[in-house]
Amino acid sequence: MTDEIVVRVFDIVGSPLCVSADDGQAVHDKIAPLLRDNRKVVVSFERVETLISAFLNAAIGQLYGEFTEERIRELLSVRDMTSEDLTMLKRVVDNAKVYFKNRKQFDQAWKEEVGDEE
Amino acid sequence: MIHYLPTIHSQREGFECLALLAADAEKLNADRLEVDFSRCGFFDANMAASLAAVLARIADNLNAVEIVKVPSAIERVLRKNGFLLAYGYSAVDDVNQTTLPFRRIQLSDKGRFADYLKQHLKEKGIPRMTDGLGKVFKQSIFEVFQNSVIHSDSRLGIFVCGQFYPQVQRLDLTIADAGIGIRTNVRRYLGTKVSSIEAIRWALQGGNTTKTGSQPGGVGLKFLKDFIALNKGKIHLASRLGFYEYCKGKETFEKLAADFMGTVVNLEINTGDTQSYRLSSEISPEDIF
Repeated sequence: MTDEIVVRVFDIVGSPLCVSADDGQAVHDKIAPLLRDNRKVVVSFERVETLISAFLNAAIGQLYGEFTEERIRELLSVRDMTSEDLTMLKRVVDNAKVYFKNRKQFDQAWKEEVGDEE
Repeated sequence: MIHYLPTIHSQREGFECLALLAADAEKLNADRLEVDFSRCGFFDANMAASLAAVLARIADNLNAVEIVKVPSAIERVLRKNGFLLAYGYSAVDDVNQTTLPFRRIQLSDKGRFADYLKQHLKEKGIPRMTDGLGKVFKQSIFEVFQNSVIHSDSRLGIFVCGQFYPQVQRLDLTIADAGIGIRTNVRRYLGTKVSSIEAIRWALQGGNTTKTGSQPGGVGLKFLKDFIALNKGKIHLASRLGFYEYCKGKETFEKLAADFMGTVVNLEINTGDTQSYRLSSEISPEDIF
């Protein structure tokens, strides 16, 4: 199958506001299985009015933890985004690449706080 | 006990005075706190969110909280924005539509924040803002709120309140929580005993995040700072014993005299800003990944 699948963010979130990590997770959960199946995915932001980094971190940034940059570049594209939102997405993507390269192991990262004094 | 609240402005001293109230009442349990406003000469309306976060913790220790002897001008402001309604006062109509009313939003009900902004932000200088500013401003507010949702662990909810000053084209919005604070998050993540100020400094650096799961982070606060710098506004952040101000490109970190048990962010926006906020460098969708 080579046809592109369009994932419409507005339809998944049900609102023009993409302002929570939970909603971003829902979009991620639509995209990730398609990439696993080697399908080409176009994420459309048509009718989206407000977009924040926490949403994009969950929806797209998170993909860099599972897929290689090459695979994402080959299979994923976006459309219907303003230049400002594209800039935000670029920041999120660049940050995600670094984040996953340097990621601490989950079990090492969270430690008990040492005392409550300043 | 009686606590005499002094004048509270939306600046370091104001946060410190609220932290001193928290410290004063820290040991109070199943008792009674009277917050006496008779020595309060002025109270910046948006700071009601910060006061509410402090009082929520005190009430959570099974204390009865009363607010008394509020000077009439302050009482009017705090009835207008709805803060005093929980303390037995009646509402006053916001005829000039200058308040973003006080709200307490539970983490489980976080969708209410979007409705709140939709309902109350539209008359607060936004029509005079360029499209670009209005959009970036809304993004910034949602970034701060979402940070609180993700990181605060605030069982008592998130407290919001704002005030629009049309004469000086300024909008102040405060988002406060009664959560664990930035210090605890950073200490748990780094595993070292950083101070509140060091923790705030660390969290504000682009790319730093205490998130450890599959979702990256560390972009939101950088975005916020970039916007406030362009807008010539201000950011105030108080968390535990740390205070941070960003104003006119200058960053100030100071230690508070007492522990503000939670985190509060105040954004001061210049609504008369006529910049376009259109970015000169166009990024192509092909160059994103």
